[in-house]
Amino acid sequence: MTNATIQEIEGIDDYWGPAFRSVYEGEGGHEAFVQQLDERIQQHDKEIEKLCNFYYQGFIDSIRELLQVRSHAEELHAEISNVDANVKESTESLCTRAEELIRARRVELNIASTIEKMELCLPLLTTYSKLKSQVEAKRYYPALKTLEQLEHVLLPRVGPYKWCAQISADIPRLRQAIQDASMADLRDFLENIRTLSPQVGAMALVQTQDMLGRSLANIVKNKKENPLQSIESSGPQCPHELVDFSPLHRCLHIHTVLGAKNDFVQYYRAQRKQQARLVLIPSSGNLHDSIQSMKSYLNAVLGFFILEEHLLTTGAGLVSKDWLLDTWSMSVTKVASTLRTNTSLITDPTLMLSIKRQIVLFINALKCYGLPTDPLPLLLQEMAEHYTEVLMQRWVGIFRDILDNASFSPIEVKNQEEYDAVMDTFPCDGDEMETQPFPRKFPFSSLVPAVYVQVKEFIYAWLKYSAGLGLGGGRRAAAARHSASLLLSRSFTGCLSALFRRPLPLMQLVQIIVDTQYLEDATSFLYEFISNITGSELVTTQAAGSMFQAARDDAEKQICDNLEKKVDEFLDLENYDWLLVEPSGQASSFVTDMLSYLSGVLTSLEQLPERARVAAVRAATNRIATRLRNLLLDPGVRQVSSGALYQLDLDVIQCEQFAAGEPVPGLREGELLEHFASLRQLLDLITGWDWSSYLHDIGIEGGKYALVTPRDAATLLEKLKEAEQKSSVFSVLKKNERDRRKLLDTVLKQLKQLQNQDG
Amino acid sequence: MAKTYDCLFKLLLIGDSGVGKTSILFRFSEDAFNISFISTIGIDFKIRTIDLDGKKVKLQIWDTAGQERFRTITTAYYRGSMGIMLVYDVTNEKSFENIKNWIRNIEENASADVEKMILGNKCDLDAKRQVSKERGEQLAVEYQIKFVETSAKDSLNVEYAFYTLARDIKAKMEKKQEASNPPGGRSGAHQLKANEQQRKPTSWLSRCSVL
Repeated sequence: MTNATIQEIEGIDDYWGPAFRSVYEGEGGHEAFVQQLDERIQQHDKEIEKLCNFYYQGFIDSIRELLQVRSHAEELHAEISNVDANVKESTESLCTRAEELIRARRVELNIASTIEKMELCLPLLTTYSKLKSQVEAKRYYPALKTLEQLEHVLLPRVGPYKWCAQISADIPRLRQAIQDASMADLRDFLENIRTLSPQVGAMALVQTQDMLGRSLANIVKNKKENPLQSIESSGPQCPHELVDFSPLHRCLHIHTVLGAKNDFVQYYRAQRKQQARLVLIPSSGNLHDSIQSMKSYLNAVLGFFILEEHLLTTGAGLVSKDWLLDTWSMSVTKVASTLRTNTSLITDPTLMLSIKRQIVLFINALKCYGLPTDPLPLLLQEMAEHYTEVLMQRWVGIFRDILDNASFSPIEVKNQEEYDAVMDTFPCDGDEMETQPFPRKFPFSSLVPAVYVQVKEFIYAWLKYSAGLGLGGGRRAAAARHSASLLLSRSFTGCLSALFRRPLPLMQLVQIIVDTQYLEDATSFLYEFISNITGSELVTTQAAGSMFQAARDDAEKQICDNLEKKVDEFLDLENYDWLLVEPSGQASSFVTDMLSYLSGVLTSLEQLPERARVAAVRAATNRIATRLRNLLLDPGVRQVSSGALYQLDLDVIQCEQFAAGEPVPGLREGELLEHFASLRQLLDLITGWDWSSYLHDIGIEGGKYALVTPRDAATLLEKLKEAEQKSSVFSVLKKNERDRRKLLDTVLKQLKQLQNQDG
Repeated sequence: MAKTYDCLFKLLLIGDSGVGKTSILFRFSEDAFNISFISTIGIDFKIRTIDLDGKKVKLQIWDTAGQERFRTITTAYYRGSMGIMLVYDVTNEKSFENIKNWIRNIEENASADVEKMILGNKCDLDAKRQVSKERGEQLAVEYQIKFVETSAKDSLNVEYAFYTLARDIKAKMEKKQEASNPPGGRSGAHQLKANEQQRKPTSWLSRCSVL
C-alpha cells in the first residue's frame, strides 16, 4: 500500500487528489507514508550520487576541454578581429570607389538622356534661328514657311519646355511682325511707284509717240541710221519694267500664306485708290503755268494706270478688271475736269497747243493700254473752242495794234518793188493799176493787207490745233472757215467798233468803210487759202457779204454824227439879232460857211459807197433843219421881229438851195428838201400871213400848211406880237396896223383853241 | 437864245502837208496829241472859246489840207479868215521855203488886212532840225509877221500863238471900229452893212450862185 501511492504520485503529474486521500485514509496513516517518502528520498539521493559519480570524470574533462575551447575561442576572436579590421580597411576605399562609380554612372546616364533631348531640340532651335535670320534679311515669305514648320512640326515634337512656350508665344508676334514688315514693304513699294509712275507714264507717252510716228519709211530710215541701236538698248523695253513689283508680289504671297489675301487686296486697292486721288490733284497747283507741270500731271496719271493695268494682266487677283475700270472712270472724269479748269485759264496759244499735243498723246497711250478715253475727246473739242477764243483774243490785240498804228490813208507805192510787195501780201485786182505811173495809189489802206496777213496767220495757228485730231480735211476746212469768218466778223469788227467809241476824223471813217469792203472781197481768197492748206475742196457757198456790215454801219453812223456835230458847231455860232429891223439881204455867214463846208466835205467823201454818202447828207440836212426850226421856236427867244424872220427865211432858203442842188448822187428827187418842209411851211405861213387858208385847211390831209401845228404857229405868232408891241409901244397905231393887230389876236385865240382841242 | 460869246474870229491854218497843222489844232482844241499822222482831207475846223481881256472870243479855226490836190477847196476859205497861221516844220527845209509861196497865196486870196503869224512847228525834234530859229525869225522880219516856234507834241507856245493872233485881230478890229464909227455901234452889224453896200442884191437866187 504506501508504495503504491508514491508511485501514483510520481506517475501522475496532476490530479493528485485521490492519492492524497488514500494517504489520509490508509493504514498507518500518514507516518507510514512520510516514512516511505523519506525512504524514497534516500533511494533518489543514492541514485543521484551514483549518477554524479558516474559522470564526474566526464564533467571534469568537459570543463578542461571547455577551458581549452575558451582559449581557443579567445585566439580565434583575436584573429577574427584582426581579419575584420583588415577587411574593414580594404573595403572602405572600395566602397568610396563604388559610390563614385555609381555617381559617374548616373551622370553618364543623365548626359545620354540630355543629349537625346537636346538632339530633339536642336532642329527647332536652328529653325528658329533661321527664322530669325530670315526675318532679319526681310525674306518674309521663307520666314513664314519656316514659321509654319516650327509651329506645326517641330514644336510639338519637343517637350513642354519653358523656352518652347516662349517660342510658341513668340510665333504670333513674329507673324505679326512679318505682316507689319511686309506692309511696310508694301508702303515703300507704294511710295516708290508713286515716284516712278510719272516716269512710267513719260516712257509710255514717248513710246506712243514713236508708234504714232511709225511708218515704213521712218523705220527704214531709223534702221539705216542706227543699225545697232535696237541691239544696244539694254534699258527697260516696257514702261512697267521700270518698276520692281517683287515687293508687292511678296507681300501678296505673305498675306496669302497668312490667310489675309482678301484683306490685303482690299488694303492695296484702298491705298491705290487713295493714291489715285492724290495723283489726280495736280501737284504744282496750276497746270496752266507751264507745259512741264501739265506733262508731269499726265505722266503721273498715265503711269499710275499703266501699272494697274500691268498688275491686271499679270494676274494674282490684286487688280480686277472691274476695279480698274471703275477707278479709271472715276479718274478720267476727274482728269478731264482738272484739265478743263486748268486749260480754261490759259491764254497762251502755244502752251495750249503743246497741252493739246500732250492730251492727244495721252489719249493714244490710253487706247494702247485698253483704257476708255471717253470724256477726253470731248475735252479736246472744248479746248478747241477755248483755243479759238484765246487765238481770237490774241488777234484782237493784234488787230488793235494794227488799228492803233493805222494811218487810214491809202497805200502809196513809189516803185515796182513796193507795188509787188503789196500785191504779194494781198490779193487784189491790179489790172487797172498796172498801167498807172508810179507813185501808184491803192484804194485801200495798209490796214487791209495787214489784217489779211493776220487772218492767214490766225488760220495757220488755228489749224495747228486741229492737226492730229483725226479730223478730215473737209471738216477742218469748214471749221477753219467758220473760225476765220468769226474772227473777222466778231473780233475784227469788235476792234473796229471799239475804234468808233472815240470820235474819228471823217477820213478815217471813210477809209474804214472802203477797207472793210476790200477785206470782205478777200474772204473768198481766204477760203481758197484754207482749202489749199487743208487739202479739201474749195467751198464758196457762204456769202460773207455782210461780215462788216455792223462796222460799216458804225462808221456811217459816226460820219453822220460827225457831220451833225459840225452842223451843231456852226449853229452854235449863230448870231441872230431877233429884233432886227431890216434884213441884211444876205445869208448869215455861219450858214454860208456851213454849206460850203458841207459841200466840200461831201465831195471829199467820193470814195464812200453811195448809201453812206446819202445817209451822211441826210443826217446833216435833217440836223440843220431841226436846229433852225428849234432856233425859231426857242422859248428863250421872247420876241422875233419880222426883220429877223426874213433873215432866218433867207438862211433857210440858202439851205434849201443846197438841199435841192443834189449834193450827192443817189438821192430821191427833192428828198432833202423834205427835211425843211415843216420849217418852210411855218415860215411861209407867217411871212405870207395866210391864216385863213391855214385855219381852213387844218385837219385836212395834204394841206398847204399840214406840217405846222397850231402850237408852233401860236408860239411864233406870240413872238412876233411881242416884238411888234415893243417896237410900237409909244407910237400911235395906224388903222391898218390896228386891224392887223386885231387879226393877230383873233388868229392867236383860234390857234389856242385848236391847241386845247388837240391837247 | 442868250449869246454865248462876244465875238467870233475865223482863223486859218495853212502850210505844207505834214507840218503839223492838225496836231497844233488838236493840241489847242483838245489839249491832246496823237503821234500817228492822218492827213486831213479837204478842210476841217474846230471851235474854242477863249477869254480875251474879259471878252468871250470864239475862235473858229479852219484846218486846211496841205496836200496840193485839195488846194482849190482850201483857198476858198482864205477870204473869210481874219487871221492866218502859216505853219512850217523845222525839220523840213522844203516846208520852210514854201512859206513864201503860202504868203503869196494869202496875198492873192485873202483880204488885205488879214492878221498873219508864222509857226515853226516840231521844235521838240532838235536832233532833226533843218531850219534854225534865226532863219525863221529872219523870214518873219522880212514880211513883218509875228513868229514863234511851237511844239504840238510838247504843248509849247501853241496857246501863246493862238492868243497872240486873236489879240492882234481884236486890237485891229477895235482900232478900225474907232476910226470908222463912233462908239456904241455894233461892229458886226456895221460890217455886215458895209458888205451889203458893196453888193447889190437882186434876188436870193443870184446870191446863192456866189456860193
